[in-house]
Amino acid sequence: MFDRLPLPSQLDRTIMAGGTIAGLVAAPVLIVLLGLQITGTISAAEMVFYMAAGVVLGGALGAVLIKNIVHASLSLIATLLGVAALYLLLLTEFIALVQVLVYGGGVIILLLFALMMTNAQDDPIVQDGSQKPFAFGVAVLIGGVFVTALLDAQWGDPTAAVIPFVDFGARIFRDFSVPVIIVAVLLDIALTGAFVNARRAEAHDEEARS
Amino acid sequence: MIPIENFLVLSALLFAIGFYGVLARRSAILILMSVEIMLAGVAINFIAFASYLDHDAFSGLVFALFVITVAAAEVGLALGVVLRLFRERRTANVDEANSLKW
Repeated sequence: MFDRLPLPSQLDRTIMAGGTIAGLVAAPVLIVLLGLQITGTISAAEMVFYMAAGVVLGGALGAVLIKNIVHASLSLIATLLGVAALYLLLLTEFIALVQVLVYGGGVIILLLFALMMTNAQDDPIVQDGSQKPFAFGVAVLIGGVFVTALLDAQWGDPTAAVIPFVDFGARIFRDFSVPVIIVAVLLDIALTGAFVNARRAEAHDEEARS
Repeated sequence: MIPIENFLVLSALLFAIGFYGVLARRSAILILMSVEIMLAGVAINFIAFASYLDHDAFSGLVFALFVITVAAAEVGLALGVVLRLFRERRTANVDEANSLKW
């Protein structure tokens, strides 16, 4: 069945290999989580959280570590969809839907387009900068400081509450109407800017050719 | 019920991973992707606080919504700039975009 898919053979093989590795890694984790859930150590919601967190962190690590630029962006898709699952676990369905629409539908397509229009086809392998060890040290430092500070703080025992769509819509257009207008203007300017940028580039190319 | 610390620690780790990507990568598009990871971490933090600690005001949710919107606009503009750079210089490597460097 797979040889009939209209994919380039290399991408096809990569997806198969990546899926197999992900499945091999995820299967034992899933079994352990299920065992913990059945024995009552963690709740069902926590089990789903750990699964989504694994997808998010694994995808993010892939996106910053993988050398092949196309594979890194495919890995980013896993992160963004996992983040949508986390929003669902936080009981904010609206933000989860927006995340899937804007990131899964818009940002990823834009990124893949830009990759294909730059050097992804001839030279998909990128070399990272020489400041890698420094970057690693700073990232570990930041992560360590944040995590120790967060675990040290007293949060009490707060519980999440569902926010209905209707309330959210009413609040955002009544109490936050000025920020909404500002964001609308910002999007307008960004669109116009992108358009003008692309058009000038074309005119420039024609000038250079003539 | 999931403890709030889980979400906060996850968002901190996501931010750190994205930070590493921003510093270590050299392709402009990969740096943009790392920035998206950092923004996702921040948005998870906002929404965790909004939904656990702040049931009546909607500030955290609105912040997260605007973070997503502004990130989308930023990606659109920045990718336009990257395409322009690639057309002029035949590279998307930020180390080679140094005309403004003194």
